[in-house]
Amino acid sequence: MTTPTTPTAPPSPPARGRRRAPSRIGRAASRAAALQRPRVLLALLLLLALTCVMLLDGYLRAEVGGDERVRTGASASDVPDDVLDGGPILTFPGGQATTVSVPDKTIVLTFDDGPDPTWTPQVLDILDEYDVPGTFFLVGSMISRHPGIVRDLVEQGNEVGVHTFTHVDLSYQSEARVTREVEQTQLALAGAAGITTTLFRAPYSSETNAIDDYSWPVYQNLGEDGYTSVFIDTDSDDWKRPGVSKIVEWATPEDDEGASVLFHDAGGERSQTIAALPKYIEKMKAKGYTFTTVSGAMADQQSPQQQQQQEQESQQPGGGRQPEQSGGGLQAAHHKATGATLYEGKALVAAVAVAEWTVPALSVGLVIVGVAVMGRFAMMLVLARRHHRQRNRRRFSWGPPVTGPVSVVVPAYNEKECIEATLRSLARSTHPVEIIVVDDGSTDGTAEIAESLGLPGVRVVRQANAGKPAALNNGVRHARYDIVVMMDGDTVFEPDTVRHLVQPFADPAVGAVAGNAKVGNRRTLIGAWQHIEYVMGFNLDRRMYDLLRCMPTIPGAIGAFRREAVLQAGGMSDDTLAEDTDITIALHRAGWRVVYEEHARAWTEAPGSLGQLWSQRYRWSYGTMQALWKHRRSLTDKGPSGRFGRVGMPLVVLFQVVTPVFAPLIDVFTVYSMVFVDFRAALLAWLAVLGVQLVCAAYAFRLDREKYRYLLMMPLQQLAYRQMMYLVLIHSCVTALTGGRLRWQKLKRTGEVGTPAGNG
Amino acid sequence: MFVDSSGRRARLLRRLGLLVGAVCVGYAAVLGLAFMGVGISVNPSSLLPFGAGGDGPGGPGPGSGAGPQGGVAPTGPPPSAGPSTSPSAVPSAASTD
Repeated sequence: MTTPTTPTAPPSPPARGRRRAPSRIGRAASRAAALQRPRVLLALLLLLALTCVMLLDGYLRAEVGGDERVRTGASASDVPDDVLDGGPILTFPGGQATTVSVPDKTIVLTFDDGPDPTWTPQVLDILDEYDVPGTFFLVGSMISRHPGIVRDLVEQGNEVGVHTFTHVDLSYQSEARVTREVEQTQLALAGAAGITTTLFRAPYSSETNAIDDYSWPVYQNLGEDGYTSVFIDTDSDDWKRPGVSKIVEWATPEDDEGASVLFHDAGGERSQTIAALPKYIEKMKAKGYTFTTVSGAMADQQSPQQQQQQEQESQQPGGGRQPEQSGGGLQAAHHKATGATLYEGKALVAAVAVAEWTVPALSVGLVIVGVAVMGRFAMMLVLARRHHRQRNRRRFSWGPPVTGPVSVVVPAYNEKECIEATLRSLARSTHPVEIIVVDDGSTDGTAEIAESLGLPGVRVVRQANAGKPAALNNGVRHARYDIVVMMDGDTVFEPDTVRHLVQPFADPAVGAVAGNAKVGNRRTLIGAWQHIEYVMGFNLDRRMYDLLRCMPTIPGAIGAFRREAVLQAGGMSDDTLAEDTDITIALHRAGWRVVYEEHARAWTEAPGSLGQLWSQRYRWSYGTMQALWKHRRSLTDKGPSGRFGRVGMPLVVLFQVVTPVFAPLIDVFTVYSMVFVDFRAALLAWLAVLGVQLVCAAYAFRLDREKYRYLLMMPLQQLAYRQMMYLVLIHSCVTALTGGRLRWQKLKRTGEVGTPAGNG
Repeated sequence: MFVDSSGRRARLLRRLGLLVGAVCVGYAAVLGLAFMGVGISVNPSSLLPFGAGGDGPGGPGPGSGAGPQGGVAPTGPPPSAGPSTSPSAVPSAASTD
């Protein structure tokens, strides 16, 4: 995280809008809204599409709308006896239930649950080798995921039927769901192979004598719609994997009867099916059997003239079937998909393909974020502990105590509420200081207030409004001493702060020191959230970066610099909106060491409203990206600059840009898992992550001897604050991409932060 | 840094955003339509041979006539759980969490 820098100079922007809004605030608000509305809309649309992708993916995997109930042992009193005792092919011509048997010495090979990318092609190879057709009852979700296999399967001359979209027991489903299941499967079929079919087999169905009172209406309704429900005569039970010989034995009908035989080409490990199939075909061929499809069996059972008559009828309404392609009526159940069905089907298959790519890609992103976040926590804990031990060891010292006077630069722009407390706190300093207040063209009498206090050692330098970097540079120019402490006009130091802050300069390699900024106004909810964030940021992040020697930011609220180092770097620059990050990186690149001094505490006033917090963070994240971009050449540099480029930059980019940008995935996946997959497991996972964060936060609080009760706000922080932070980051990324101009916005101050001791 | 005063990048991005937004809406629309089955007619009754005419393939006769009542024999009892492996259970490997 970037750290507090108080905006000092909003260079009143030239009015860009053509229309004049009544007030300045109103104008700014409308400009902000105009800037953001399309983005919000786009973000919502992206979220909608992402939700669709995930719902679709969940639907395909039966996470969404899945139903694993299977009915067994129900009564069959409503089912006509001649259906229960009839052949395996059930139709309803004219609304009258009719069963058709497979002719003697004929086998209809049926394969359920496919297509499967592993097993179905192997089945097709076998069928091709023996030149026998099969009838495949396909599951719509699998069709849409593997459309190419279905195309091959149909081209090879096999017949296909609908086996529902999600393989649910239809006897439990509403009529609307049954219709949807069948229609969606037809769509997938149309998209994959350009056909629809009139064959249907219900999941978990078997012989006609197993039809019960609950499934019977399903067949009736579908039959009246023109579907042919296909049952079985013999069941290979190959899904039980009983061994090749058993599969062949169970699949073989008695005597020389014909049979509709059930195999499975999907739904699990099917190597036994693949091994048994050639043996079975050879055995039945040896017995004199012929192989056909369901349509082939139906055609054989019909008298020739009926067949002719039907063919004529069927030509008229649908214009559908393609006798050319279907080797002699073996695919009579197929109809060519046309118009909306065809295009919608193709769109469905494409949509599924998108989901099939997107969800794994997002999962990878999620894993990266997860590993990065957890790795960061682990690294922070280890390094923070080491840092704490190292710096607080009794024998530890930076060198001979630094006792000489230092300059304190206080840039101030309209700080009338806070400036008095700031200056009075500096005057109580236990270290000799000269105080330079740089008034950046304030209009509220800040300079006059500063002068009227009559504090010893305070000088007020006035300049025309030129921005915070210019004010700081002006202060550095006026500084008499070699060490310059920079702070904000709204920050309050403890008496010991300056003394602690400058001690590291005893080490001549140290070019700058970061202090420990604390949130003074922590009694409100957002104050408490920022308090947690600051404590973690300063006690974990900064300690880690200190030891890794790549601290990206000296907080504007409290930092000390060697004057020489700042001048060498060319002073503060107004290239970026985060001049504190910019100068820190510049010092690293020049070979200076930048360290963190935890005992130098400064009390600062955090933004009190969400709007202010938003604009502050917007500026920080935008400024950080600007600074990283400005120093991008360090990646290929040699020496200390290259070291920062190759160690510091990647860490900062990973933790402050990449992770937050992908962080929304965590929320989306969490919500999705909670709603559709397993609420308890998802909740536990979420709580576990929260627990890890709590442990880290508690450790940070312990290092800083803060009161733990603020941690109670942490679960809530996960539900609002975190989301706001990543939205800010995404927003500033987009602003960076569009090249829009982002300006300083002065935060409103109340001046309530005053007494360091009283807080907490 | 990052500032593009010509506004060309902003324009480009705005168009890209429009495109992405349109694609998103299209995607959601396609799925909605496909899920609800709007605008499609896969009801085969209009296509079937024995649509309106009551004289289908020989009434209830031929099927059960030549029928292999015995063929129903091998496994007597109700469907049992059948192949309980629903297709969904197959490749859920790299999915959600």
